Amino acid sequence: MASPVKTPSTSEQMQQLNNARKMAFESPAYFKQIVQGIFPLTAASSPVDLRRWAAEFIAEALACPALRTQEKDDLTISVIDAGALGSLVEAPDQDPLVLKAGIMAAASAYPVVVRWIISNTYHPQSWLAMSAIKSKILSIWEGAPTPVKLCCIKFVQRVILAQTASNGAEPKHSGLDVNLNMITPNQNLLDPRSLEAEAIGLLDRMLGGLQDNGSDVLIVDATLNTLAILARTRPATSNRIINAALNFNPLKLANSPMTPKNKVLIKSMTKTTLSFLGNILRRDPDNPLAPRISQQIQRLMRSRDEIFNEANRKRALPEQAAAGHGDVKRQKTEAAAPQPPLRIQPLAPGPHTLAEVFSLTNNTGLQGFDVTVVPAPLTARINIRTLASLDQGQLDLAINGVRDRLIALYAAAPAVPPVPVPVVGTATAQQAPANSGTAVLGLVDDDDDYEPDLYTAAEDTEQILNKLDNAPPEAPPEQNSEPLALGPFRLPPPPVLNPDTVAKVSQITAMRIFGPLSGLEDPLVRKPKAGLNRLAANSHDRDSWLTLITRLATRSTMGLEDDIKTEADATALGHPQMSLGNLIREMLFNYVLEDWRRRIEVAVAWCCEEWYNDQLAKREGLGAPLNYERCALRLMDGFLSYITAQDKVLTRFLSEIPHLSRELLGRLKGLCSDPTTVQLAMTSLLYLMMFKPPARELALDTVYEIWLEYEDARPLAEKYLRKWRPKLLEAHAAADGVSSGNGSQTMTA
Amino acid sequence: MSAVDTASGAASSSKPEQNGQNGQNGGREDPGGFKLKFCTVCASNQNRSMEGHLRLSLANYPVISFGTGSLVRLPGPSITQPNVYKFNETSYDSIYRELEAKDPRLYRANGLLNMLGRNRQVKWGPERWQDWQVGMPRTKHKDDKGADGMEGGVADVVITCEERCWDAVIDDLLNRGSPLNRPVHVINIDIKDNHEEASVGGRAIVDLADSLNKIAAEEREKVGASAFDSGSAGARSGFDERVPDVLAEWQERWPNLPATWTLAWF
Repeated sequence: MASPVKTPSTSEQMQQLNNARKMAFESPAYFKQIVQGIFPLTAASSPVDLRRWAAEFIAEALACPALRTQEKDDLTISVIDAGALGSLVEAPDQDPLVLKAGIMAAASAYPVVVRWIISNTYHPQSWLAMSAIKSKILSIWEGAPTPVKLCCIKFVQRVILAQTASNGAEPKHSGLDVNLNMITPNQNLLDPRSLEAEAIGLLDRMLGGLQDNGSDVLIVDATLNTLAILARTRPATSNRIINAALNFNPLKLANSPMTPKNKVLIKSMTKTTLSFLGNILRRDPDNPLAPRISQQIQRLMRSRDEIFNEANRKRALPEQAAAGHGDVKRQKTEAAAPQPPLRIQPLAPGPHTLAEVFSLTNNTGLQGFDVTVVPAPLTARINIRTLASLDQGQLDLAINGVRDRLIALYAAAPAVPPVPVPVVGTATAQQAPANSGTAVLGLVDDDDDYEPDLYTAAEDTEQILNKLDNAPPEAPPEQNSEPLALGPFRLPPPPVLNPDTVAKVSQITAMRIFGPLSGLEDPLVRKPKAGLNRLAANSHDRDSWLTLITRLATRSTMGLEDDIKTEADATALGHPQMSLGNLIREMLFNYVLEDWRRRIEVAVAWCCEEWYNDQLAKREGLGAPLNYERCALRLMDGFLSYITAQDKVLTRFLSEIPHLSRELLGRLKGLCSDPTTVQLAMTSLLYLMMFKPPARELALDTVYEIWLEYEDARPLAEKYLRKWRPKLLEAHAAADGVSSGNGSQTMTA
Repeated sequence: MSAVDTASGAASSSKPEQNGQNGQNGGREDPGGFKLKFCTVCASNQNRSMEGHLRLSLANYPVISFGTGSLVRLPGPSITQPNVYKFNETSYDSIYRELEAKDPRLYRANGLLNMLGRNRQVKWGPERWQDWQVGMPRTKHKDDKGADGMEGGVADVVITCEERCWDAVIDDLLNRGSPLNRPVHVINIDIKDNHEEASVGGRAIVDLADSLNKIAAEEREKVGASAFDSGSAGARSGFDERVPDVLAEWQERWPNLPATWTLAWF
């Protein structure tokens, strides 16, 4: 720590001291003993080297985390009480290094003394000594040389930490947790209010340094690097600090000439500001100032990049690629050698199998490999992987090579017997032009190691596929003259559809639409209905699918109905056909009736869609058939044949479908002939009267008719009519009164 | 490039100080006097920080080293199969033996065994920055290279080898809240993570350390407050103030190793 100096006695002493220091680190119990032993060295009269050593050792000891709280308290109080710290800090013309270490020691001592004095008020001397040291440090803060000033800033930070209220977020057992909350109100030495006021005042002074000395990089860095814990754990300081940091412009220097030193300074201040703001943002993302902080971070990063043109500091791709070879962490065992360009040997003259024509490898072992032993799915996967990663250049080379071979073969064809292989329709060979210029070479039957047997069972699949490829009734290419030339390939035309097949296929198609319904789950959570505006398929559940089906039924043939009608007219006699829409309607009807009580919703949704579609059709004036009424009646009839007195869903159905007609309500009358269902029919009508005003008259008419026609329903109907159409009843009563009055008269008469 | 040779050479000849070699690569005579305490930091405490650690210790500086990553990551047979170890719990020697058993050819070819061989001569194992208790006496590391002078467990200068390590170090220091009240210069030098660049970076680190130590020693030479009023402007100011000047000069000498610096607190 301290340097040996020239005078032997001092150097001997230093040696001893250094040994003692090492001993203290071995066993922290020695700290106190050694510190107390070096008190005399702190006196202004002792040699400066020894004084430095003593100051630095005291600072080290007071900060040492190896000491337990109790040990540290004892040590700190003993240093204060002995006046050692005082003499280090308060001596006039003190050596700057001694002063520095003294202030560092004071910074460590301050919170310890505050905590100690809270529970040891009987011994105010320590607090008074500490206060004196504090005043001294605060007084030299302004005019001190920069290195000393830095330590003053740190000391002030510890004072503020100790004299403001904590939110408990700081690390414990490091002295950082000493704060205003620890001071009980009845302390006569410590007045929380004045302490806090002093702390805030000091903070302002500290932050002022950020503004005033905006270009003194050391002050700026040292200040910013002490602020994070204050802003984080001392709520009273938080806003002040963050605002000061946000208002600080670390790029102010950028306007001065860009000397190497200025670059270092600007970069340092910018990075430090960014680190500070980033730290605040990370630790407290919910801070109300967070948006401003992240904005400022963005801004600073942008400006910095502009100033240093650092946007291109990331290594460019080529350089990176070059570095790739030297990069251990990214290095592969062997750098992939660039593949040599593919070389395709021209075929030796003589007859060749197709396999030979397409063999690109010279490796006889590979050539002999029977691909058909590989399972087909695996082959497919290998093919896909290969095609996906294939280099276009290599592929072109291969295609051209095979093409050249074919050209050569073609040219040689007249001289050799045709190759007895099925023609394969690959793109590679399609454009093989005749090249008669290719000379025919001598027919040397060279050693053919590889002669695949085309007629073994293993080849069957391939052959069948080839035959299928050639299935269209096209004239096979003339093998004699053009053994390998390929004609255009066409798929066979599909068989002509007759109306019967169409009907059958439509039916099957429509049935398949209903297939998924049985497998689909009801959505777990009932979602509010979006009505006609809902999207048909926003999720794959039963609701969505049903919406899709109802729309298919109602809208799919919208606007095409005319054609269908005429077509239907034309074929009316022969084939009573259904349009696709009607087919689906039929199935939808069956679907609803299968479990109509639970599927009443579907019925309603369907009716709504029908109604909507009818409205559209009317508006378009297409003259298309209207389906709503028909479907609603059909559904109604369907329900009524199964209805019991408990089926209130009927009421629901009637109230929810978009339009009611006389005919539809007329179906209710049938219910009134059965005494058990009278109530249901009448309740449904009452509901309509009460809650569906547009249908009220219609419902009342129906009630009236019921009143007239059905004896069982009369009391209820009369009750409703009395309420809603009293005049009608009165008129009837009058009429009845006349006739019955007459009757009675005649009876009595 | 000779840098490659020295990276592995330092590992193979475990005691370069003894071969009397002088200069940047080998050890050098200890002139005595004041020594700044250094700390080198990279991601895994394997390549760059360890190169720096070795070089600084050979230059007789007290030095310790750390990694800021969550785990020690070394390249494996492919980019998706790295070899991963825990900090503080795995020794360089055990990693060396494990990799040697796995695939000696591969790990010799990519320089890992050389590097680990060097590292196990320097200290026991990779240490994580975030787990380092600053100021805790380092009495159990006496056999580490550069341990002499590091008993107090603090450093005057931290040198990181990558910007994100610098960020991690500063962020960690801000989180710790600087309980020790001790200023520390944290300097980043961007060194690419390969053996060759680490070797170049190692030399640059020693160069920087020498320059910094020189001004720190000069500050110590001066005695008394009056010293501030005498001498040239440069010599008049203290060590801390002169760090940016030294760094700017250093940057001129090493333009390919962009540096960042701040004054932080332990």
